[in-house]
Amino acid sequence: MSLRWRIIWVAATVLLFGYYAIANYASEETRLESPLIPDSSLRLGLDLRGGIHWVIGVKLGAAEEHELSFLKSLLVEELERRNVVVGKIDVEDEKLQIETFTEDARAAVRDWIGDTDQILEVGSDPNLLMFELSDLRRQQVREQGMDQVIEVLRRRIDDPMKGIPDSVVTRQGDDRVLVQIPGGSVDRARAREMLRVTGFLEFKIVLDIAQTEELLRDRFPDGELPDDTTIAFERDRETNRVLTAYLVGKEADLTGDYLTDARPGFDNQQRPQVDFTFNPAGGELFQALTEENIGSQLAIILDDRVYSAPTIQSRISTRGTITGRFTMDEASDLSVILRAGSLSVPVVIEEERTVGPALGADSIRHGVRAMIVGLVVIVLFTSFYYRLSGVYACLALALNLLLLIGVMSMFEATLTLPGLAGMVLTVGMAVDANVIIFERIREELRARKTPRAAISTGFSKAYWTIMDANITTLGTALVLYNYGTGPIKGFAVTLSIGVVTSVFAALVITRLMFAIYPGNRHIESLSI
Amino acid sequence: MPFELVPPGTHIDFIGKRRVTAAISVALLFAGAIAVPINGVKLGIDFQGGTEMQVLFDDQVNVDEGVIRSVVRACGIADPSVVRYGEAAGREFLIRFQVGAVASATGPSCALTPEQEEALERAKLSGGGGGDEGEKGETIDKLTYVLGNEIGSLQVQRVEFVGPRVGSELRADGLKSLLVACILILIYIAFRFSTRFAPGAIIALLHDIGITAGIFVILGMEFDLRVLAALLAILGYSLNDTIIIYDRIRENMALRTKVDLVDVLNQSINQTLARTVLTSGTTMAVVLALWILGGEVIRPFAIAMAIGIVVGTYSSVFIAAPTLLLLERRFGGAPAPAAAAGIGAGAGPGAGATTDAAFTVRHDAPPREDRPNKPKRNKKKRR
Repeated sequence: MSLRWRIIWVAATVLLFGYYAIANYASEETRLESPLIPDSSLRLGLDLRGGIHWVIGVKLGAAEEHELSFLKSLLVEELERRNVVVGKIDVEDEKLQIETFTEDARAAVRDWIGDTDQILEVGSDPNLLMFELSDLRRQQVREQGMDQVIEVLRRRIDDPMKGIPDSVVTRQGDDRVLVQIPGGSVDRARAREMLRVTGFLEFKIVLDIAQTEELLRDRFPDGELPDDTTIAFERDRETNRVLTAYLVGKEADLTGDYLTDARPGFDNQQRPQVDFTFNPAGGELFQALTEENIGSQLAIILDDRVYSAPTIQSRISTRGTITGRFTMDEASDLSVILRAGSLSVPVVIEEERTVGPALGADSIRHGVRAMIVGLVVIVLFTSFYYRLSGVYACLALALNLLLLIGVMSMFEATLTLPGLAGMVLTVGMAVDANVIIFERIREELRARKTPRAAISTGFSKAYWTIMDANITTLGTALVLYNYGTGPIKGFAVTLSIGVVTSVFAALVITRLMFAIYPGNRHIESLSI
Repeated sequence: MPFELVPPGTHIDFIGKRRVTAAISVALLFAGAIAVPINGVKLGIDFQGGTEMQVLFDDQVNVDEGVIRSVVRACGIADPSVVRYGEAAGREFLIRFQVGAVASATGPSCALTPEQEEALERAKLSGGGGGDEGEKGETIDKLTYVLGNEIGSLQVQRVEFVGPRVGSELRADGLKSLLVACILILIYIAFRFSTRFAPGAIIALLHDIGITAGIFVILGMEFDLRVLAALLAILGYSLNDTIIIYDRIRENMALRTKVDLVDVLNQSINQTLARTVLTSGTTMAVVLALWILGGEVIRPFAIAMAIGIVVGTYSSVFIAAPTLLLLERRFGGAPAPAAAAGIGAGAGPGAGATTDAAFTVRHDAPPREDRPNKPKRNKKKRR
């Protein structure tokens, strides 16, 4: 490759990433508006910008036990119908335990259990039958429990409308949810309120319906709503656009407290539907409500948001179904909403890392100060010790930092406090490669090589030493990334990218500088 | 005239001091091992679970550790540790307690205002007790209120809570990651060096991790995620100097087959001494900057890194190279073969073969270059 092309190539790389790095100074709005400025930018970790980092453990055992309790209620009914007498039926330790006294009873229980295809017999005590959820069913139940918890947390915390800006709710592994709430302005106690996982579920008779709030208000003089009514919206789940506005009463006609179960099912033509169950008290209330309002719509409202408004077709007491043109997914989504408002899956905080905004800003200040001092020491030393070549190294170091920040911005990597430390460390380690090259060149010069030959040999001899050194560091950084949580991951990211940019800076950029000057010139001595 | 940290022609007999340095290393390792039962290995909350609160009281508040400790105790928290922290002229404290330490958070001097009670009640998480796996986060909020009521207005700067389940996972995964990193490096060394060189590099590596961890135990410092990150970084970094020296030994062995191995080792170390010192020096400079200026939170990381860099540099010179000599004398037997490329020959013919091939390509046929060291000894020094 000719020198000109090398210059163009390196300059283009530096400019590209430099552009990304510098774009961080533009505000987010400007970035999004302007077609010229890249949208992606460096993210600050919560330990630098302040915020709450929670790992929420979801106790899915409770969801399993709930499922077993539901099966238990079905079993009790079935046994009553068949006139089979059994002893106590209990759900304990994620097992359904049935005390039986006769072989017939056992056979009846096993017979029914066999039909459900959801649970497996465990244990060997003949008088105490024990069943566990089958692996497949357990998996489903646990997934459902997670969906339910995440659904509620999402709507509370990272909902674009009502949630906290920039907060993130992500699933972590089988039974954990990562909640990240930036900004120290959020009171911790208040944030904790949002973790209460049961949503507030209400059922309200729909009084009127329109496509938008304006259309609905137009139907009343001066747009004044009748007394004791309010408007609830159904929104598109992705875009949050209002789909339908419902006029409903202010007070709920029935709340989710009475609901004991909701699950997707099928009607006799195998069309998906949602089956739900009220407890006896709720059943009575629901019966009265449905009786009076046959033909009306009943809005299902979770945390002030309408999820569905099925038409009441008949009187329903404890057990009912919601039918419609559901897909299987929609049916299961609606049952998640119903459950989210009624069945609590207990959660605990398993890990917390909360940083106040003052400390975060302080950490940035400290980190930047350490970086600047480190840089100054290294620049002074290197330029003194290696003179012109040292200046080359410093230039390469500056470009290296620019590249590092640019690459991180491009990939929207998160900069954490350990990440900042990793950046400082990169400054120190990046010079190592130059030291190895320069020492080698000095050695070649002492061996009476011409400067040109010495440079060339220096770079090629140092090549593998530099590679080895950096590959091992990269390896451990990747292991750390794989292991790390939150902030530590940030260290691994910065270190890995830093290793790559350092190698590039030393072996490509510094080398190019030497190719530009002295290049092919015949010089008497090399400033090194 | 370039400034030289290590003047050319320096000849220090590093290898000759190998018995002394080996004794020092063994002594340090032993001291670390003995300190384990005496001092105990102190684990931070990351690895054993617990709560850590960093609180900053306002300017006018008159407060010391004892006052805070008694308030925390009054809230039913057993064995709290309270220490001054940071630079804020003694008004910043770190409060710590273990997972099981919260007995019952009620007590006479642990009173809350009705609004505070209500706020706590509102934020109560549903479902059974946290206990074995985590907590509901009430203790921290309550303690914040009580400290404010009893002592004076304060800001909570940082809260870290690690439940026992997460703690033991982090502990297990942390050890695993160290192990995986070691194995990866072993594989790399085995691939990159011949069987003759690999053991020295590995011993140096284990030596570095062992002594760094040992010093932490001796000084009674805590292991947490930051320190683990530093240990992993050291694992990758401390090999650098060893590689520099080994590369040179390999080169010199290829050139001078008849000379005594001790001479070759000494010569190689001396030739690369400036490099070894300078690379460690520049990294040390930034690590010291982090240590002194980087703030309290990052300090444990910087301390571990600093120790690791010193130990790593030392071990490259005084452990890795002498180990080579030891192994060579005991197992090598055959003098280095005359063929310049036959560096890896000696022990383990099978494994040696592949690395030799790679080595031959790299060093004996550099693109467009002459073998640089050949003319070196024949010509007079420049000065």
